[in-house]
Amino acid sequence: MKQATATFDFDDDAPLLAVEDAVVKYSTSGGDLTAVDGISFSVSENEIFGLVGESGCGKSTVAQAVLSLLPSNGRIDSGSVRFRGVELTALSKRELDALRWEHFSLISQGAMNALNPVHRISDQIVEAIQAHRDVATDEARERVAELFEVVGLDPDRMDDYPHQFSGGMKQRAYIAMSLALDPDLIIADEPTTALDVIVQDQILKRLKELRDELGISVIIISHDISVIAETCNRLGVMYSGKLMEYGNLKEIFDNPYNPYTLGLQNAFPTLRGDQSDLISIPGSPPDIADLPDGCRFMERCPFATAECETDHPPLESVGEDHASACYHHASIARMREESRERETWDKTGSDTAASGGVSDD
Amino acid sequence: MVNKRYIARRLVLMVLSLFTVITVLFFLFRQVPGGPMAAFTNPRMSQAARQAIIEQYGLNDPLWRQYLRYLENVVQLDFGQSFYYGSSVSSLIADRFLNTMSLMLTAFAISYTLGTYLGAQLGWVRGTTKERAGMVVVLFVRSMPVFWTGMIVLYVFGFQLDIFPIGRMRSTGASYETTVQKFLSPDFLYHLVLPVFTLCTYYTGLPLLLMRNNLLEVLSETYIDTARAKGLTSRRVLFVHAARNAILPVVTAFAIAIGFAVGGQVLIETVFSWPGLGREMVQASLRSDYPVAQGAFTLLSVIVITMNFVADLAYTYLDPRVRLGES
Repeated sequence: MKQATATFDFDDDAPLLAVEDAVVKYSTSGGDLTAVDGISFSVSENEIFGLVGESGCGKSTVAQAVLSLLPSNGRIDSGSVRFRGVELTALSKRELDALRWEHFSLISQGAMNALNPVHRISDQIVEAIQAHRDVATDEARERVAELFEVVGLDPDRMDDYPHQFSGGMKQRAYIAMSLALDPDLIIADEPTTALDVIVQDQILKRLKELRDELGISVIIISHDISVIAETCNRLGVMYSGKLMEYGNLKEIFDNPYNPYTLGLQNAFPTLRGDQSDLISIPGSPPDIADLPDGCRFMERCPFATAECETDHPPLESVGEDHASACYHHASIARMREESRERETWDKTGSDTAASGGVSDD
Repeated sequence: MVNKRYIARRLVLMVLSLFTVITVLFFLFRQVPGGPMAAFTNPRMSQAARQAIIEQYGLNDPLWRQYLRYLENVVQLDFGQSFYYGSSVSSLIADRFLNTMSLMLTAFAISYTLGTYLGAQLGWVRGTTKERAGMVVVLFVRSMPVFWTGMIVLYVFGFQLDIFPIGRMRSTGASYETTVQKFLSPDFLYHLVLPVFTLCTYYTGLPLLLMRNNLLEVLSETYIDTARAKGLTSRRVLFVHAARNAILPVVTAFAIAIGFAVGGQVLIETVFSWPGLGREMVQASLRSDYPVAQGAFTLLSVIVITMNFVADLAYTYLDPRVRLGES
């Protein structure tokens, strides 16, 4: 197989991955749709970064944009994606191919259909290795066996087909494949979504161990805030194509500043928590073909005021490595207090956004 | 991948279906108005001569005895004598079968190779002007009636340009020592060009459209993103990952098409005066030459049934998820 090679001018001082003001659009018959609207975040070495949000908030689009795997009608309209200082949006396909898997790889929902059903698992991993390195098949197969050990699979089963594996085993095999070339960054898009809680826990634990042992960075994309809480150092909370809150995980979980984050925390069970504590956010995200002028979360936010109707709020620093996009950071203490009450959220369903709000004081 | 018990069971089933077909054929031809005698005997023949023939062929025996004798002969591949040619049906059909297969297999091999390849390419560039233009051409060519294409092709390349012969399998006077020589001679291949070309215009459409549609579906699968993310070349993503999955239904279509190829393409065989099995079957029916028709229909069922089995086996090879007989 011919290897994809190219030389890059990596900047050692630059962050591993820096996304700046990225706008991703899909062209459809009804005009352009903006799926990701001006998102900025960075991921540094040895870090697990989480992107959390509801279905359709654009978090998977961010992953695809970073990997340059957007569907043919999607494009990065503006902004930049830099890997170690190299601008990815300016690369040719050949150059990108040289970076892919060698420097950043992907973990898909491997439990489902992310491995090709008609090829042996070993062949699929060997293929990934030989696409980048000129090694003999035997040597590559030894590496596969080694990788199987790393992820806790029996190397004797590496010549199986994907359908012979259980969901958890397939996910492990996929992780083995993503580790094949010792990448610097792994982007894991819903890595545990189709798995049961026990297997999910094992997989996440393994990812954390891999970060510590191999020093890789991981971006985990999930709709499940408990998955993020368990694994990440830093995170971004996404809503309708925008980052609502961003920064250090502990900061955000201990001192959330954004009403959407408050709502998300309420909506997920904890192992020790009482089931009746769960409060869901009424309503659903806005249609990206028909976005509101004001804050994207306005219509579902119990604290929205007239001010929220003008423009989407900018991200504001609210602490060390912590930013949030809301006009009401000043009244955060009250919002935290009230957000624990079911009634606070219930009234947003019926009332108009403006009348249920708080006043800035 | 395929267990032996499954193959054994399938073989038994194949023999059973074949037996059924042969039985139906036997009774069917005896229900035709006039019976076997109508075509065979001359109306001016005397009553005594007619009786003699009936006796000779055992047509006075009860039907079940005739049936048993028929089965016995079929097992020995003896389909009797042609009423029209007076020669053995088996050797007649064998000859026509080879003629038809040399034409149809060549056409199918080219059509399916070309169709699969072009279909994959067309699916890969979906949404582009190239694809839209390609689809118009494909649908146009596919809609041309094959006998019409045949006549146009004959007119242009045969009569006007005079590049290719206007029909038949070989030039007058050509003779060959062996069958292999006959089918590999330049003269035969020269005669093969126009009918094969005509057949291809028609048969390329199906695998092409099948391949394109399957590919569109496969391209949205996650494993295609995986392949791209691995940094593979587009060629490799298309052929090793996408086309390999999309080809499955094309294989089935191919096996079934081969099954029906035995019947030949009556229109093409007629337009190009090709001495094939399709034309022979039609003529045998018109001439009430029952032994030939019976033999040809039997051969047709054997091939169709066998090719279905082959298609299933091919599936287990192409798709490891298919495990035959482990239900």
